[in-house]
Amino acid sequence: MTVGLPHVLTLAALLFGIGLYGALSRKNAVHVMMSLELMANAVNLNLVGFSRFVTPEAMTGQFFAVFSMIVSAAEIGLGLALVIAIYRRKRSVELDAVQELKG
Amino acid sequence: MDLPLLTVIVFLPLLGAAVVALLGNAQAAAGRAVAATVAVVDLALVAWLAMRFDVDGGMQFVEKLTWVPQVGITYHLAIDGMSLSMVALSALLTVLAIVASWKTEKNPALWFSMLLLLEVGMNGVFVAMDFVLFYVFWELVLVPMYFLIATWGGPRRQYAAVKFFLYTLFGSVFMLVGIIALYLQTGTLDILEMAGAGLDPTFQWWVFAAFFLGFAVKVPVFPLHTWLPDAHVEAPTAASVLLAGVLLKMGSYGFLRISLPILPDAAAEWSTFIAALAAISIVYGAAVAFAQTDMKKLVAYSSVSHMGFVMLGIASMTPEGLNGAVAVMFSHGVVTGMLFFLVGMVYDRTHTRMIAEVSGLSAKVPVAGGLLAFASFASLGLPGLSGFVGEFLSLLGAWASDIPVGWVVTSAVGVLLAAAYMLWLVQRVVLGSPSEAVAGITDLSVREVAVLLPLVALTLVVGLYWDSLLRFTDPAVRSVLVMMGGA
Amino acid sequence: MSMDWVVLIPLLPALAFTVLAPLSRAARARLVPVAVAAVLGSLGLSIAAFLAVWPGGHDAVWQGSFTIAHIGDRAIPLGLALEPMSAIMLLVVTVVGACVQVYSLGYMHREDRIGWYYAVLSLFTAAMLALVLSDNFLGLFMAWEVMGLCSYLLIGFWHEQEAPRLASIKAFLTTKVGDLGFMLALAVVYAEVGAFDFATVLHHDWAAGTATLVALLMLFGAMGKSAQFPLHVWLPDAMAGPTPASALIHAATMVAAGVFLVVRAFPIFEVSGIALTITLWVGLLTALLAGLLATVQHDIKKVLAYSTISQLGFMFIALGAGGSTAALYHLVTHAYFKSLLFLGAGVIIHAAHTQDMREMGGLAKKLPVTSLAFASGSLALAGIVPFSGFWSKDEILTVLLHEHQYAAFAIALLAAFITAFYVARLWFRVFTAPTQQKELHEGHRSMLAPMVALAVITAVIGFFGPTLGDFLGHEIPWPALGTAAISTVAALGGIALGWYVYGRRTSVVNTQAIKQRFPHAYGVLANKYYFDLTYGYFVVGGYTALTRALATFDARVVDGVVNGAAAAWRSLSAAGWTFDGRVVDGAVNGAASAVKAAGDKVRTLQTGSVRGYQTLVAGAVVLLVIWILVKGA
Repeated sequence: MTVGLPHVLTLAALLFGIGLYGALSRKNAVHVMMSLELMANAVNLNLVGFSRFVTPEAMTGQFFAVFSMIVSAAEIGLGLALVIAIYRRKRSVELDAVQELKG
Repeated sequence: MDLPLLTVIVFLPLLGAAVVALLGNAQAAAGRAVAATVAVVDLALVAWLAMRFDVDGGMQFVEKLTWVPQVGITYHLAIDGMSLSMVALSALLTVLAIVASWKTEKNPALWFSMLLLLEVGMNGVFVAMDFVLFYVFWELVLVPMYFLIATWGGPRRQYAAVKFFLYTLFGSVFMLVGIIALYLQTGTLDILEMAGAGLDPTFQWWVFAAFFLGFAVKVPVFPLHTWLPDAHVEAPTAASVLLAGVLLKMGSYGFLRISLPILPDAAAEWSTFIAALAAISIVYGAAVAFAQTDMKKLVAYSSVSHMGFVMLGIASMTPEGLNGAVAVMFSHGVVTGMLFFLVGMVYDRTHTRMIAEVSGLSAKVPVAGGLLAFASFASLGLPGLSGFVGEFLSLLGAWASDIPVGWVVTSAVGVLLAAAYMLWLVQRVVLGSPSEAVAGITDLSVREVAVLLPLVALTLVVGLYWDSLLRFTDPAVRSVLVMMGGA
Repeated sequence: MSMDWVVLIPLLPALAFTVLAPLSRAARARLVPVAVAAVLGSLGLSIAAFLAVWPGGHDAVWQGSFTIAHIGDRAIPLGLALEPMSAIMLLVVTVVGACVQVYSLGYMHREDRIGWYYAVLSLFTAAMLALVLSDNFLGLFMAWEVMGLCSYLLIGFWHEQEAPRLASIKAFLTTKVGDLGFMLALAVVYAEVGAFDFATVLHHDWAAGTATLVALLMLFGAMGKSAQFPLHVWLPDAMAGPTPASALIHAATMVAAGVFLVVRAFPIFEVSGIALTITLWVGLLTALLAGLLATVQHDIKKVLAYSTISQLGFMFIALGAGGSTAALYHLVTHAYFKSLLFLGAGVIIHAAHTQDMREMGGLAKKLPVTSLAFASGSLALAGIVPFSGFWSKDEILTVLLHEHQYAAFAIALLAAFITAFYVARLWFRVFTAPTQQKELHEGHRSMLAPMVALAVITAVIGFFGPTLGDFLGHEIPWPALGTAAISTVAALGGIALGWYVYGRRTSVVNTQAIKQRFPHAYGVLANKYYFDLTYGYFVVGGYTALTRALATFDARVVDGVVNGAAAAWRSLSAAGWTFDGRVVDGAVNGAASAVKAAGDKVRTLQTGSVRGYQTLVAGAVVLLVIWILVKGA
């Protein structure tokens, strides 16, 4: 059996679903961010998959995926820094502990 | 490609200002060292440029890049003898101002970065040959000067700073209108291209009027001068020096660089009016200076009087008069700078600027007293010192021109009145027996003498060998006259 | 042989100044010999220059120039030229200058600022030498102004006291009034000729009107410098300075610069004609009125000061009558004998510790050398043959007769008579009247030697008149017997009257009685014709009041307009603010409050819970996907 586009898409959809579930159900901010990473990587997987099977000669999707990974790495760095900053003030990384923006 | 020397000269202080600001007050000592270094390097670059300068070469070290091509704005820098003398003055006085204010304790990082930022504007105005660039530098000067007065000034600093800012802004708004009118008429914003454009005389008249308001406030010409005494009295010493030494010259430089070459017909029409205002400024400034009780105010009003000679020379539109005007501009920067430094140094010690409370300086502090007397004699136009050169040439030019004799004679009387207020100051402050305020003070430190010595030397050199200055200004002035005649 | 060493004549004292001026008080005092050496060097070089010019004639034997400025196509050179007239003047300046500097070693040795005194004296000497050597009006003017500065500094040498301080500023400003004339004359010359050098300017084809303008403006400058009526008021006050400085500056050299200027510009005066007549009458008025003032002064230096003014008046008389050589001749003789008199007065003042002649008397026995030297000077001043003043004054009278100026001749003769009278008054009061003080000492050798030198010059120089004339290329004849007799009679008459009033031991005329008999005349003289009062009240007082009024005007009106505009703008903007707040902003605020009310409802959505937001987003995405699927289908 050869791996085709549907396999890739299925895997990506599963990953995305796991990520979405985690992001919505977890209270711990670090867990939420890990879930977000899963979702982002599902998207990357889609990009690479489409690129590989739809337009194999142009490497657009691969490049885009690499770019996206760099951005999410930066984003995670920033996010973790924020989590640490929150932990310093609140002594907790529970998302429910942060409700200052309540209108 | 050559080093873009003018760009470096103009923007090096900006870099310096940024570094000084970033170092902050925590590293103020390093900051002021950087400021001094940058200013000295800038002065050295100006000196290097002056050595490579070809006096008969007209506009040189030209840098011209398109900037906003849609409306024809260019990044156009160039320098001729007239500009060079002013840039040299600005670079020198900035160095001296930094050295003189070495011990500033209140927010030193901001102080030194503002001084450097001011230098950017001052240098830029004198080498910008594009109207937009010129206007940007012209306005850029206002900001640091505002902060210098409003932050480090005397008791009424807020009032003085706002007055200074608004008054000059008021003038420059009219200048902006003039610039736009010229642009719409000629389709270019290049100052040099516009010279000799042969514009319609009526149009010229109105544009001249707009520029006149902008420049005359800056010079300042009577009756637009009242911001000057307030600004000077409240400003800290170094700001006073730069204000009188360089900022006032921006106005008269504007007349020489813009009004005369671009609007020659209007200039000819306005010449009698300008000469009249000049003569009134000379006599009026001298008379009001005589009645002052505050040393700084006296020097401030003397500036009004001296700048009158600049305007007289400009109004004459003769080679002698224009050379005289530039010579007065230069000499006034040097001599009045010296006077403001000295008044500041005396104030630092006696904590008063009231003439009545200070006397007998020469007996108690002979160096300070002697230098104050020297500066006073330079200021009253003693031959052999720089003050004489410009005033004499202005008068020669004015007499040879179409200016009515009455105004020339009135201006000449100003020389006598200058002697009166300067000597009356020397009489009360330098001579006599030490007063209570003077009794306990110490003489100038080495650093302070080092600030004054270059100015003393320049006063002597220019006064004894006029060509040391005129060899730069004369070709520039002649080309201005050629442009006027060619139109 | 190159004669560029002539430059050193003014340069040596200038260098001495440059060396001394920047030093500390103590270092300057140690280096006083430098200044003396410099002036002696100049004296030696001046003698050499004189010999180089000998036997005279018209042309310059050396010329050097330095271009100080280029303006347009014109160059402005400052040149020096050595010709007969400048050679003579060099000798006058350096001889008197050297005498004064040597004399000052003794006179000023107790002053702790002696170094500064010598520095200024050197600068003055340099400027005066540059002035006489200058071959152009601009250089002459610049040197002229520098001399004014030195005069100011020396008059105010004892500036801790009020009188010298005021006298110095008065001197500077009064001469500066004249200098304005000179400066404007330069402007006219430049506009007309385009150059300043004597050769070009004097050979220019002058129109009579322009020539009169230039001549009168220069005359005005000369009147300020040479203290002619009505600009004479500064010279008597200038006596507040050190006496040797007065001898050099306010008797021999600087005050004669005005005369020298007119001599230099003489061809322009001749073209004008009117200017000559005015010069003549200025001179006559000054010679007479200043002579009269000298007769009522009690301060020995003031007598000499008024005498100087009067004698300068004589020089102007000569100029006005067309006798520039006679004027120069009198300038030379006067320089020697008047500086001699001042130096003598210095010894007397040192000895008597007063300047008031009423407190002196009988000094002839106590100060034998001084009294002999003083006698030489006095006789010269009075115009007694064979002392120098006789010859030159006689030359002036001869010129007047020759030009048929009989009224002027009569006035000049009267002035000569008055001169002899006040000389006698001074002499008898100081030297022969009854002794009033015990302790009197003759001056130091360094003070006596220069006086003796000057006394000898004064006694013999008159015999060289015709030689001097040849040297200058003009004629100075021996006096005709007739004029000589008339002038001698006038001089002797004056001395006799002076002796009658002040000199007789037996019956001293009660001068108090004269004062009481002619109170008005005496009042006019004692108040110096009210010149000082008038100037003080109207010029100085008026100007001071005017400046105060203008300063108030500036603060209230000129600045008032600015501040008024600012205030008006402020109140306008305040009114605008009200309008803005009620009406314009009212509409805006209305809209804003509506938005705010809506916002209050919507804000409840903002729970602040991150997970709530996530759920919302995810839910929205799900809805979006469903919508797309439905729509797509």
